[in-house]
Amino acid sequence: MILFEDVTKTYKGGTAALNHVSCEIGRGEFVFIVGPSGSGKSTFLRLMTREETPETGEVYVGGKNVVGLSMSRVPHLRRDIGCIFQDFKLLPNKTVTQNVEFALEVIGRPRSVIRTQVPAILDLVGLSHKVRSYPSELSGGERQRVSIARAFVNKPPVLLADEPTGNLDPATSVGIMQLLMRINQIGTTVIMATHDKGIVNQMKRRVLELEDGKLVRDQERGVYE
Amino acid sequence: MFHRLGYLLRETGNNVLRNTTLFLATFIAVWVSLTMFGSAIIMRTGVSEATGRWSDDVQITVFMLADSTPDQRAELERSIDANPEIELISFVTQEESYELLQEAFSEDSPELLEGLTPADLPLSYRIRPLTNDADVVSAISDSFRSKPGVRSVADAPELLRSIERNSQRISTILLIASIVVLVAAVLLIINTIRTAAFARRDDIEIMKLVGASNWYIRTPFVIEGTIQGLIGAVLAIPMLFLLNNLLKDFVSDESLELLQGLPVENAFIWNTSMWVMLLGAGIGAIGSLIVVGKYVDV
Repeated sequence: MILFEDVTKTYKGGTAALNHVSCEIGRGEFVFIVGPSGSGKSTFLRLMTREETPETGEVYVGGKNVVGLSMSRVPHLRRDIGCIFQDFKLLPNKTVTQNVEFALEVIGRPRSVIRTQVPAILDLVGLSHKVRSYPSELSGGERQRVSIARAFVNKPPVLLADEPTGNLDPATSVGIMQLLMRINQIGTTVIMATHDKGIVNQMKRRVLELEDGKLVRDQERGVYE
Repeated sequence: MFHRLGYLLRETGNNVLRNTTLFLATFIAVWVSLTMFGSAIIMRTGVSEATGRWSDDVQITVFMLADSTPDQRAELERSIDANPEIELISFVTQEESYELLQEAFSEDSPELLEGLTPADLPLSYRIRPLTNDADVVSAISDSFRSKPGVRSVADAPELLRSIERNSQRISTILLIASIVVLVAAVLLIINTIRTAAFARRDDIEIMKLVGASNWYIRTPFVIEGTIQGLIGAVLAIPMLFLLNNLLKDFVSDESLELLQGLPVENAFIWNTSMWVMLLGAGIGAIGSLIVVGKYVDV
């Protein structure tokens, strides 16, 4: 599903964000990417969505080489990758429903599709009762559920999560993790960058550990350490 | 499709409301520059049409006495040939003069021709000065006045020449000024669109994130810039008509009869308006394309 081949990414100023990283992530896997701040976790994710391009090496998503993708093909790549973030990135002037609809509208999905898919996904994330609320009226956990709904409404084969529980208390985090597990069980590949020791240790999934841009550990059913 | 159109209009409307002062500044700059641009074009055409009408007057015409002798005429022709600053356009015989008069008056005022025969009319030489210098032209005219057999010499009044020169100069200045303001207008459009893009940076970020196509994200900005340019252009059109009508009123004064070619036909203003609108839409589109190329990138 996802393949990194000897990927090196250096930012201006010479700091290596990723240093000769190679790894393969199979379809339907659930993978944690762990490591201290600045170890290259976010860069790892941003290379898959083509927000960054590597100096050397190749990145494949769904069999397609992402590095050589033309600018006009990048949007199509991103339609196959859902993304959620620590800060949710919801639009404050839109309701829960509108925030999710927006993601389908702007890729030109017909109104009829939007009308059936949006309520279904909001039901899946457990927000059917809050569809008319604005993000400011929601708790952190609820906001992250909206953002998951938005990322997943188009049923992408890959879901990237960048510190999705970073702003949430442990109890709320559990709920979000259960939701991500459920999405993973449907067959979605989930890649989650996180600092959250407790979650990683409890879930016992594959762990990729980055340190100063190097992949120092790739462990099935791993723990945070 | 309708949904998309609604989105475009809503976004554009929001941007205008968010940014009224900048929008107004942009609109005024486009409006003023295109009014100047259109005026310059219209003025150029008016002047060239007016000078077309004057072309007869701009010549020097030497009228001979009815009883001038062939020797006197030969002498005059020699002096025309000898002068390097002029060229002979035509020699008008008495019959030709009569025909010209008939053409001019037989329809509207035939009474003027009554009792008139070719013999009553003078022979004349039409001479074109090769210089525009009014002093030289009048010196040449004077030199013919004293020749034997010459009854009178008519030349273009200096007023006409100075109007021609000055209006060319004014229209050139207008054109240059309009280009300068046009550049300012493009810069303002760039600024407006950049501000709009900044105001919507969150929306843009999400659109990129979920895979909206580049043109889906960019089109609203380009349309907005184009509309701004178009609005300025459309409002410049009545200004062109207004200025042309003011000119018409001004030259309708009888003493300015010779300037009546200056105001142009309405059809020509419509024609110019089309170019003005094209230019307005063009600078709007170009300005916004510069911005989206630079700031609304994937």
